[in-house]
Amino acid sequence: MIQFSQVTKRYPGGHEALSAVNLSIDKGELVFLTGHSGAGKSTLLKLIAAIERPTSGVVSVNGQNVSRMPQRAIPYLRRNIGLVFQDHKLLFDRNVIENVVLPLDIAGFDRRESLKRARAVLDKVGLLNREKSHPVGLSGGEQQRLCIARALVSRPALLLADEPTGNLDAGYAADIMAMFRDFHQVGTTLVIATHDDRAISALGGRTLHLDHGKVEEISA
Amino acid sequence: MTGWLRHQKHALTTALKRLLAFPLATIFTTLAMGVAISLPSGLYLILGSLNQLAGDLPTRPEISLFLDANASAPQKQAITARLKQADIAQARYVSKEQALSSLGQTQDLSDITAGLTENPLPDAWVIRPQASSRDGLTRLANDLGKLPGVADTHLDSQWAARLQAALAIGTTSVWLLGSLFAFALIATSGTAIRAQVLARRDEIHVSRLIGATNRYIRRPFLYTGALQGLLGGVAAGGVVALAGWVLRAPIAHLASLYGSTFHLHPPTTIDIAVVLGLATLFGWLGAWLSVSRTLRQVDSSR
Repeated sequence: MIQFSQVTKRYPGGHEALSAVNLSIDKGELVFLTGHSGAGKSTLLKLIAAIERPTSGVVSVNGQNVSRMPQRAIPYLRRNIGLVFQDHKLLFDRNVIENVVLPLDIAGFDRRESLKRARAVLDKVGLLNREKSHPVGLSGGEQQRLCIARALVSRPALLLADEPTGNLDAGYAADIMAMFRDFHQVGTTLVIATHDDRAISALGGRTLHLDHGKVEEISA
Repeated sequence: MTGWLRHQKHALTTALKRLLAFPLATIFTTLAMGVAISLPSGLYLILGSLNQLAGDLPTRPEISLFLDANASAPQKQAITARLKQADIAQARYVSKEQALSSLGQTQDLSDITAGLTENPLPDAWVIRPQASSRDGLTRLANDLGKLPGVADTHLDSQWAARLQAALAIGTTSVWLLGSLFAFALIATSGTAIRAQVLARRDEIHVSRLIGATNRYIRRPFLYTGALQGLLGGVAAGGVVALAGWVLRAPIAHLASLYGSTFHLHPPTTIDIAVVLGLATLFGWLGAWLSVSRTLRQVDSSR
């Protein structure tokens, strides 16, 4: 599903986040990205979602060359990718359900159908009783679950999560990882950047370790 | 409902919500636009009324021939004979008594005329010539003026012609002013939209990350601009109506002093539709010019 061949990303100023990375992730895989902060985990995820472009090399997602994709095609790529951010990136001027409905609005879904799907996914992350609340009133764990609900509402085949449990205490983190395991079991491809070793050992799955821009496979 | 229509409807409701979310900003922008639109619109209405007044004036020119008070009877007969020639379409004699009494009646100057010990007005002929060209009229007026016993001639079309020329300048000025204020309108809308785009940079950023196209992001701003323009047009209507109401009595008073029933004509439905349509268009245009530029700035700042 995802192929990197000889991918290098150098930022203006000369910092090389990824150096000639080769990797391949199959459909339905659960992959953890580990490594100290600044090792290039976020960069790798951003390259998959075409938030950034590689300096050289080819990134392909679902057979499409993302690194050369024209600007106007990128929105349609992103609609098939669920993104979970460490800082949630919620919109604080609207309530919980409006945040979840946003991707469906963007894709032009019927309003009633959107609300139905949003409620279903809120139920799955345990926030159905908070649908009219505002994100400011949610705890960190709830905000993260809301972010996950928004990423999943359009039923993407691929979910990218950047430090989804980074700011959460152990109990919340375990909840969220359990949720990811459920999605993995229904066939969603997951790529999760984390340094939460407990989560990795709890869920199993493949682990890619990044160190100074190089990727190294860690056998479980 | 197709996806396209759904997107339009969604953008429209979003735009409405955004305008309502900041009522004070919306009101101020609406007022600024209203004032900008009302100036050319108001002048247009005043000019339209004046044009109608000018249209009521005799379109066919008249020459007034004033006789010398000391003109002899043979001189008067010669003049009467001259006025029967082919280049005169119609000639009407107005004696000084008639002139005085009509002056007393029509312009409410009876106090003055009653106080006169003798009639200062001359006998006159009001002539409608065959010729209608300016040169022909001037020549005829000169010829008639040289007849013995004629004190003076007056080409009555001059006043109307001058008014027409003045109104033409007025019309041009309205267009000029209208174009200038159209730019002001576009600039006002553009500035307001720019502020909105900047205020929503987080939302724009997040929307892009979850698959929003440029068009999806731009659309509500375009609707906001158009709606803002429409509101500006409505405000202009209010300003013009208020001005018309305030000016009604003074204008009626002035007109009565001239013995006229002149009044300002209210705008027609088409006038109103055109002003609202143009205001909407320019609001949209300002938003369109501003949103793409600002979006590029917002995107490159990430």
